[in-house]
Formats: sequence, C-alpha cells, structure tokens
Amino acid sequence: MGQSAEFDAIVVGAGPAGATAAYHLAKRGFNVLLVERGRGAGSKQVFGGRIYAEPLREVFDDLDKAPIHRWVRRERFTILDGDRELTLDFRAGASTSFTAYLTQFTQWIAQKAVDAGAVLADEVRVDGLWLDGGRVRGIVAGPDRVAARVVIVAEGVNRLLLERAGFVHRASPRELALGVKEVIKLDKKTIEERFGLEEGEGLAWVLLGEVTDFIPGGAFVYTNRDTLSVGLVVHLGGAYQLLRDQVHVLAERLRTHPRLSRFFEGGDIMEYSAHMTIEDSVGYMPEHFAYDGMVIVGDAAGLLLNTGLTIRGVDYAAYSGYLAAKGVERALSEGDASAEALRRHYEVPLRESFIYRDLMRHRGASYAMKNPRMFREYPRVALDTLEEIYTLGRETPLPHEALARALSRNRVGFAEFALRMLKVVMSL
Amino acid sequence: MSLEMMVGIKWVPNTQNVRFDPKTGTLIREGVPSIVNPADLDAVELALKVKDTYGGRVRVITMAPPSAVKGIEHVIGMGVDAGVLVTDRVFAGADTLATSYVLSQAIKKLGLPDLLFFGQETIDSSTAHIPAQVASWLDLPYVYYVDRVEEVNREEGYAVVRRKLEDRYEWVRVELPAVIAAALKSQVPRPVRLSEKLRFHRDKPLQTLTNKDLGLDPRCVGLRGSPTIVAKVTWMPEVPRKRQVFKGDAREAARWLVKKLAEEGILVREDGRWRVRVA
Amino acid sequence: MSQAQEPPRRKLLRIDDLLQRNVYDVDQRPHIILHAEKCEECEYKPCLRACPAECYVEVGGRVIFSYEGCLECGTCRVVCPHDAVEWDYPVSGRGVYYRFS
Repeated sequence: MGQSAEFDAIVVGAGPAGATAAYHLAKRGFNVLLVERGRGAGSKQVFGGRIYAEPLREVFDDLDKAPIHRWVRRERFTILDGDRELTLDFRAGASTSFTAYLTQFTQWIAQKAVDAGAVLADEVRVDGLWLDGGRVRGIVAGPDRVAARVVIVAEGVNRLLLERAGFVHRASPRELALGVKEVIKLDKKTIEERFGLEEGEGLAWVLLGEVTDFIPGGAFVYTNRDTLSVGLVVHLGGAYQLLRDQVHVLAERLRTHPRLSRFFEGGDIMEYSAHMTIEDSVGYMPEHFAYDGMVIVGDAAGLLLNTGLTIRGVDYAAYSGYLAAKGVERALSEGDASAEALRRHYEVPLRESFIYRDLMRHRGASYAMKNPRMFREYPRVALDTLEEIYTLGRETPLPHEALARALSRNRVGFAEFALRMLKVVMSL
Repeated sequence: MSLEMMVGIKWVPNTQNVRFDPKTGTLIREGVPSIVNPADLDAVELALKVKDTYGGRVRVITMAPPSAVKGIEHVIGMGVDAGVLVTDRVFAGADTLATSYVLSQAIKKLGLPDLLFFGQETIDSSTAHIPAQVASWLDLPYVYYVDRVEEVNREEGYAVVRRKLEDRYEWVRVELPAVIAAALKSQVPRPVRLSEKLRFHRDKPLQTLTNKDLGLDPRCVGLRGSPTIVAKVTWMPEVPRKRQVFKGDAREAARWLVKKLAEEGILVREDGRWRVRVA
Repeated sequence: MSQAQEPPRRKLLRIDDLLQRNVYDVDQRPHIILHAEKCEECEYKPCLRACPAECYVEVGGRVIFSYEGCLECGTCRVVCPHDAVEWDYPVSGRGVYYRFS
C-alpha cells in the first residue's frame, strides 16, 4: 500500500460531529488525530440554543452527565407586528430537548475523545486535504502534511477544504442563513419568574414578523440555566437585499423591543456571537458523503434541518459522526478505505437513517419557508384576521369574513394561503 | 556544546478586553480563558529566530499552577524544544520578588542558559520587574527593549543585540550568559504548527519542578516571601465619549477632525502648523 | 460635509459595545484580506449589512475593512458578489473565543 499512514483516522474539526467521530473511533481502539483550529474544543462553536436528545442517547450512554442547562418543555411561537402580537404557548407532556452552550457541550464530547485516547491538536488550522490522484491521503496544515488511512471532514458550514479540493461547489447565499445571538445573564429565579417556568424547566421561543424586519428568517429566545440566548436567523438568499439595517441592529431591536424588553431587563450581555447555518440542506449536500480515503459529517455534509420553526443540527452532527465512526471501523477492519467501502459502510447507513429521511421529507416545507411572503403577508393575514374577530365595534364578523378581508387587505389569494399553510402545518 | 536558550513565560487571564461590572466595579472574569502573556511571545519569537540562525535549544520556564501546561504546549507548538513547569502550593500568592527568586533558583538548578529571554511586561500586572530581578538574583547582565539579536558568539562569550528606543536604535555588546527582555510588540510570533503539536503529544517534552526539587526556604517563596502589599485597587472613571461620526471622504474627514480637535483645544496652531497642546 | 449623529433609538448598543463583550486574542496578521479595488464596481455592497461585526464600513464611497472584531462566521465570503474577500480562519487558535454560545 506504499507509505504507511501516521494515523488510522484524522478528524478535521472538533465540533459535535468531529469530536463524536473521534470519540467512537478512539473508543474502538483506533489511532485518531482530532485537529481543531480553536483553542481547546468548543471555543469557535455557536448555535441557537437547543439540542434534541433522543438520537444522542444512542451515541452517548452518559448523556445525563452532559452540561445540560434546562430540559425544554415550553414551546412558544409569536408573530409580532407593531402593537399586535399572536402567541402560541405550548407545554409538552415530556421533554425531548435541552438547552445548553454548544461551547460546553462540544468540550464535553471532545474530552471523551481525549479520554478514549484520541490526540487533540488544537490551535491548528488545516489548510487543505492532501490529495494523491483523487484519493485523500491526509491533511495539509501550513508546511506540514500528515497522512491517515481515512480523513473525516467535520469542518463545519464553511467548507473551505472541500471547496478547495473541488468536492463541493462554492457556497451560495441561497443555501445559507446567518444567525446572530446575544447571551444575556439573569439569575435563575428571575428567568423562571419572567417566563413562567417551573424550576429547571426550559423554554424555546420562536418569533416572526417585525423582529426580522419581515425578511425571511426568525428570531429565537432560549432559556439557559442563568442566561438567555436571544438572537435571530436571516436567510442570505434573494430577500436579503431587503435588509435595511445591519444584522446586529436587528438583534438589538429584538432585545429592546417594547413588547419583549421586559424579559431581558437588567440582564448583562455576556457574549455576542454569529455563525452561518444551512438553509437548503439538500442543495448543500455533497454528491456523496464518502470518497476515496474520506468521509464527510455534520454541517459540512449539509446535515441540518431548518423547518423555519425548528432548527436541528447538533444531534444530526453527533449522530453522523457516530455513523461515520462505525463505518470507518468496518472499512478499516476490511483494510479497504476506498470510496466504495466507505459508501457501503457509512453513506448507505446515513441515507437510511432518520436524518437523511427527514431532510428529504422536509424539502418542500423548506422551500415554502423561503418565500418572503411567509414572513410579511402571511403573518399579517393571521393578525388581521384575529383583529377583526376580537376588536369588535357593532358588527361581529364571521371567522371566514374576517379571513377574507385580511387576505384581500394583504393581497393574498385564498387558495395560495390555504396551500402554504397546509404545507407548513404538514411539515410540523 | 550548542547554544542554550531559555524563555520565561507567564500564563495570564486574557484580560485584553475584559469589562468591569458597572455595579460592583469588579472585573467580569467569568469564563475568561488564560493565554500566554502576549509580550512573552515576543521573547519566544526572538529566541526562536536566534535558533533559526545558530541552532541550539530553546526551553521555556514558567512558575504557575499545572493548568499552565496549555501555555507551554502553545509555545512548543511554535517550535520551542521543551518546557519546564515550576509548580508548588508553597509558591502560590507570590509577588514579583518571590517569583523572580523561585525562577532564578530553578534556572540555576537547570543550568544557566547562554541567553535568558523575557517579555517586557505582563498584561495582568505590568510591573516589568521579573527580567531585571532574575538578572539580579543570578548576577547576570540585563538588556531590555531588545528587538533584534544581531550576533551570538558562544566561543568568545558575547552577543550583540539591538535596543529599540523611542527615537533611535542602540547596539549593545553583552557578555554571555545574559538576560534579555524583548521590546513590546517587536516580533510577529510564528504560527503554531501541527508537526510541533504532534511532537508535544508524542514526546511530552515537559519537566516539572516542585519545591522538593528546589529545596527553597518556605519563608522566601509564595505569599510568605512576598513583601508587596496591594493596599487598594481603584478604577479610572469612564470618560464620556462624544461619539461623533463623520461620513464623507478621507480628506474631508481629516479636515473635519482637525477642526473639531482645535475647537476642543487639543490642537493649537503655532507658527502656521498644528501642534498637540501640551497641558 | 455632513455629520451623522446616531438617531435617538431605544438605547440600542453599538457594535463596538457588543463586540466588547467577547474574548479575543487578535493575531497581528489579518486572517481576511479584502481586495477593495473590486468593491468600487459593487452595486449592493452586501458585506456592509451582512457582516454581523460591522467589519466592513463605507467611507467616502470606499469599503474599509478591519478584521479585529471578526466573529469568524464566513458570511462576507458567501455574500460577496465580486470575490473580493480572501477569507480564512485565524491561525494558532487566535481570533474570537466563545464561552457561552
């Protein structure tokens, strides 16, 4: 086989996907190098605020020891437009997700990888994939090259390595969204009082309308133990041209919004962060998830679900890292790290998993959510309808009359509205 | 024998942009990570440049709790050969005198290097005491504000270094061994390399010295050996900023700025030229 | 000549006040290079609004770039229509250090 590789596997990026892959490979006795550009694992991680737990139970048998902040039982959805507000507040019977800092959660996974025997080389930026006749032989970092039998690319949403090596197309604004967030410190009790939460209980809140200046995207509030994650996501596609202000101005408007500021009052902003997220997962996916000597996991593989109301990425990332570790284990034990072997052992299981199936099923809804009317006209239809129904003078309109007037005021056809709403509801 | 170099570094909280809590007047330190004192990276880079030219060995030494290994790893990542961690509970709470004493005794124990480098000062206390005090304890010549090592002649036992002063350079010929403090921000520290990080993990080029190894009198180290007393810490009141923004082209902006500064009495016109008013 | 004062909004924090909340270890060498000559022909200049750290500002019709407050999101690279942003991550673990995100 020519020259011998220094490592069985090199994982590029110690995020949730890469750290999980490194952990499971090291645990199975492989010689693993985990390379991370940040200082320690976690220091470059940003997400909205919530992690879905169910798939992670298969990946980590001690998930309850993870740095979990609050188990989410309250789901809130709000449309805001001036003085008007429509809120849906739901308390679930059981919780399937928790709030956390991804910085801490990632550190927790990476520490497991190190404890299992993986070498974590942090503060190292990988500059390229070491290609040899189309086969990935290892990585290039500055003047250094290090070889491995398999490279696991977990470089995240900015796919510099995959783009440079020609495995994926250049990122397009249509496929991506920008998220910004502020982490606001408040004491535990104040959080629970203000949001009406029981002790330790968490809230996930999605807001639409005015808060993103009516351009496609949405705002969010998550309750952590003694902080709030407050931010918004704006699509970078065509509608982005509509953005009149800088994104951080939107974030600040959200925090100081007359209808919302009481929730954040007196809190100190501890951190202001930004990260890109995937808007069109299927469009962002590489053609294959495995090539000769390489597999792709997490955001880099386009594995993130954005339904408009929920964003799901961390559990997908970790689970794909877990599938990759299992696939690489089989391929290496057969002594075959070819594209065929890696596809058989990783890509096929991934495509058969809940992740890929859900991403394909939600494809349509994701297109629906990209329609700018989804964020200006339709929320206004809902608010106008309710206003007709509740703000009574002499006449009491029938619900369908209220809806008809709201539709015509916002120049939305009934069939169009019904169809869109149906799609969105179905996607939930 | 080849050239022996040692660099003293400090593991400090990254307080480069730390905030004060306006209510309590204390530093907001939550989650603030530690880093290698930035000025010490100038010293590391200066030493590595000498190694690039003359070969030899560069070691770092730090007196710190064990978490400072992360800092040693960082500079080993830059190409430093090995690290020495001087750590003991009895060393805790030391001022600069006790610190420089422990460091100088540890360095003596390890064998005096030809060149002993330090950064100019630390971001967490800015005393600039350590290099001078270590030189004093070891009775070595001390040159500071050094931005370049021009020549090292081990056989004849001297080095020529360049000092970067406010308005001039000064070349100093100094006998070896010597203590050298690098001029602040005089170097661009080289990037951390993957191969060096792998060497760190593979070879663990790390030595730990405790007071068991050094056998220093407990009355001379740590809090007990520290005559310094911090009587009080206060903060400068925040100066309210006027925050005016000018939008226009650069030339106009410059004119506007000069006009504003003159209105404020900061610039004065003398002999047809603008000067900063001296208070 | 115009002097733009901040309009009296509801105490929105300015970008430098927000960035000040973060921990950085800024590299002396910039990790992003802007080829600003390409910006002159750019109609929309999406970077000006898209960059969440306001690293791109327009002064007298020219785009001026600073990397120190960069949040390393990569948005500028993606939205730039003229390939003017030579984008990479900082080396040696430098740049922003997130703690609570």
